[in-house]
Amino acid sequence: MRKPVYYTALGALFLLSASCSRNIDNYAAPSAALQGSVFDVGTDSTVQTEIGGGGTRVKLLETSYDSTPTPQYFQSMQDGTFHSDKLFAATYNVSVEGPFVPLVLTDSSGTVLSDSSKTVTLKSTATVNFWVQPYLRVQWVGKPLVNADSTVTVQVIITRGTDNPGYQGNLTNINLYVSNTRYAGNNNYDPRYSKLTSYSGTDGNSLLGQTISLTTTGGGLPPQDVYFRVGARIAAGLNQYNYNQPMRIGP
Amino acid sequence: MDRINFIKTAGTLSVGLVWLSACRKLSIPPENIVQDPDVFSTSEGIQAYMARLYSELPIEDFRYSPARGLNFFWIISPTPAITGEALSRDQTSAMQENFGGWNWKIWSGCYTVIRDCNYFMETLPTYAKNFSDTQVTGWLGEAYFVRAMTYLALVKRFGGVPIVNKVLSYSAQTIDQLKIPRSSEKAVWDQVGSDFDFAIKNLPAENADANDGTRANKYVAAAFKSRAMLYAGSIAKYNKATLFDGQKNQLCGIAASEANTYFKAGYDAAKMLDGVYSLYVTSWSATDKNAQYQNFVNLFSDAASKENVFVREYEYPNSVHGYDAYNVPRQLIGPNGYSAEVNPTLDFVEMFDGIPKNADGTLQNLDAAGHYILYDNTMDLFANAEPRLRATVIFPGDEFKGQHIEIRRGIYTGPVTGGINRLLPPGSKSQYPLANLVVSATAAQTPYKLPDGSLMNPAGLSGVFTGDQTCAISGFSVRKWLDPNLPVSQTKENNETQTWIEMRYAEVLLNRAEAAFELYSAGQGGADYLQDAFDHINQIRSRAGQALVPSPASMTIDTIRTERRKELAFENKTWWDLRRWRIIDKEQNGTIYRILMPFYAAKAGKYFFDARTDERNHVYTFDPRWYYEQIPQDTIAKNTNIIQNPGF
Repeated sequence: MRKPVYYTALGALFLLSASCSRNIDNYAAPSAALQGSVFDVGTDSTVQTEIGGGGTRVKLLETSYDSTPTPQYFQSMQDGTFHSDKLFAATYNVSVEGPFVPLVLTDSSGTVLSDSSKTVTLKSTATVNFWVQPYLRVQWVGKPLVNADSTVTVQVIITRGTDNPGYQGNLTNINLYVSNTRYAGNNNYDPRYSKLTSYSGTDGNSLLGQTISLTTTGGGLPPQDVYFRVGARIAAGLNQYNYNQPMRIGP
Repeated sequence: MDRINFIKTAGTLSVGLVWLSACRKLSIPPENIVQDPDVFSTSEGIQAYMARLYSELPIEDFRYSPARGLNFFWIISPTPAITGEALSRDQTSAMQENFGGWNWKIWSGCYTVIRDCNYFMETLPTYAKNFSDTQVTGWLGEAYFVRAMTYLALVKRFGGVPIVNKVLSYSAQTIDQLKIPRSSEKAVWDQVGSDFDFAIKNLPAENADANDGTRANKYVAAAFKSRAMLYAGSIAKYNKATLFDGQKNQLCGIAASEANTYFKAGYDAAKMLDGVYSLYVTSWSATDKNAQYQNFVNLFSDAASKENVFVREYEYPNSVHGYDAYNVPRQLIGPNGYSAEVNPTLDFVEMFDGIPKNADGTLQNLDAAGHYILYDNTMDLFANAEPRLRATVIFPGDEFKGQHIEIRRGIYTGPVTGGINRLLPPGSKSQYPLANLVVSATAAQTPYKLPDGSLMNPAGLSGVFTGDQTCAISGFSVRKWLDPNLPVSQTKENNETQTWIEMRYAEVLLNRAEAAFELYSAGQGGADYLQDAFDHINQIRSRAGQALVPSPASMTIDTIRTERRKELAFENKTWWDLRRWRIIDKEQNGTIYRILMPFYAAKAGKYFFDARTDERNHVYTFDPRWYYEQIPQDTIAKNTNIIQNPGF
């Protein structure tokens, strides 16, 4: 009666030995690191964006083995800096995509007009910075002001970040986002208090360069830490938003 | 012969026999697999092949949802819940389609259908001697029709896709030859157009095998061509996103200069159906709103309707769906649960006429002093509603399956003298204050004693319950497609067989009117396009029981679009329209859809309505990237020549 047990154990031992006796495909994990920032060419501060798929991302073309590789992407952080330490050491063509004039410009028939992407030979670490023209610049004016009814009013100035007429579309949205984390953005906000405004046609353009006051909606804010951020966009590319830095007020 | 020798001889002989027979007989095709001659030699074999092609046809029918794809039974995040037509408890935001996982992968599934079509087109001519010429041309026409429909399903989602018009074979072709790159978007739309043209040319006016609308004829192909070409024209005119490959093929987007060619092709195709099909008016009367309502209800169940151009039939138990089980009002819930998945939004209802409205087009529920208007019955508000709306949406208090569908958010117990003030300030997204309200969390209710001593449940039988969203969460329930004769005991998933009408003549007229108006706007000559659009929109409006458009000059493109959204609501068409017009990213831009909550004011003995945003505060934001959907990653892993769409 015991024999089957022995055979099973023996068989299992055999399988185990087979599975751990070879190291052929056990390579080290990719460990080269690429970091950098996306700077506004006009102000030298980083271009704010949102986390997740709706914000700036880094595009890598690994050209070591193939002239037309399948692109790899990783997302930038909210403040416009990026960092990935899980890359293979190789030669990469690096560019960034986001709410700014594209680094690779093409005309309406697909001809490349200019290409500001960069090529890096990544060994262990490398830093690549980009200077771009954001579609819009959103800048705080003063600090958020708590009103008597516990709503909050903020002030911003929105200006164009590029002279390129192809990327000076009509201003379509100005949104004041209210959130209980600093990751406020179009993909993460409290709909009860955030103030969203759409503009059709050229209606919004007269606000450019003006000091704009925005007040939260939906009654008084609860007494807790609240983050504010203003996003604005034009219809260009993937219609991504340009933001200012999140600002916190607390009780 | 001695015994040993006999055995030796017999042994040698038998070995030889086995050897010989093996040489001859083992090279036959496996008999347990159906071979080409079995299929292509008889009309029954062809019918079986056609059954497969048509069942694979990628149309968004009763078994489609964006979350789970095509040909899947479980429809709990229904299409209307991502278009703004309705709210569903299982859909909490805008979304892109989910292309994998549950059942039928849209990319590989479509290429399987295309391969089946190509195989049919290449093989049938070899067996043509078994059939008449008419049969062969007709069947080839059907294969081209199915292929056109399949390319259409791909191009409307992804833009340019690989065009594969031959059966590919791995052993005969290398892997590199099989990695076919994407064609330009224009090339795929032109492929759709030319496949439909082939079908129109070769299909007979009446399908010889089945002419009940389940299989294509010449006019079916023309009707779908009008849909496809209108779509292509809209892309050329309204799309902004572009993507080029290394050879400058435009994988996403079409040059704006092509728009009128496509609109004209769509217009001409729609015109082919003139006099062949007609709007359903069997029980319609020009003067009787009730007859107009009943006629629009019947339209979706009358098999004899001359409006049905192309349909998909179901049959228990082989091919079934569960539309009623998922969508009946809560009080008619079937034995296996579900109900009330599609709850039309107030935004949708406000598109229609016949309900009191404010100057900005929103429903009027307050008097001049800002107090709620009071009604004896909840149906009083909808007394003059457009008959088509009543046939599309169940209002609070309307009758269905012999019951009054009771929808009530709660009982207001506060003071009523001098008028009832708003429960919440305008625009507030907060919860209702409970100070003067009696509500119910679930369908198990505790009745409330009214001032006259009688008892009333706080919520209606179909909701609204505050803790159980299996109810009319928007204040309305869907009416379209529901079978008024299905007993409650039979209202079960995988048990229902209403016919899905994929193409009805009303859409052909709407295609025609829209294409005509686009041609008129672009200053195209050749016909009085404005008058044509005007005439056909008014045919639709007249049948719907709606006031006619007063004059051609008063029409805008929005007149036509709104008419289309109202007529084809809940038919899984609006999603594609909002996409091709490239307006859904503006409609769903931090949007919370609106609802209409009926309350009973206990001290007044009357009802009032509160209009507000979705109490769940679910925000819809359509990401403009989704206009060109993400190509599945496994497709790119297999075919590295495929370029991903922008932003993914």
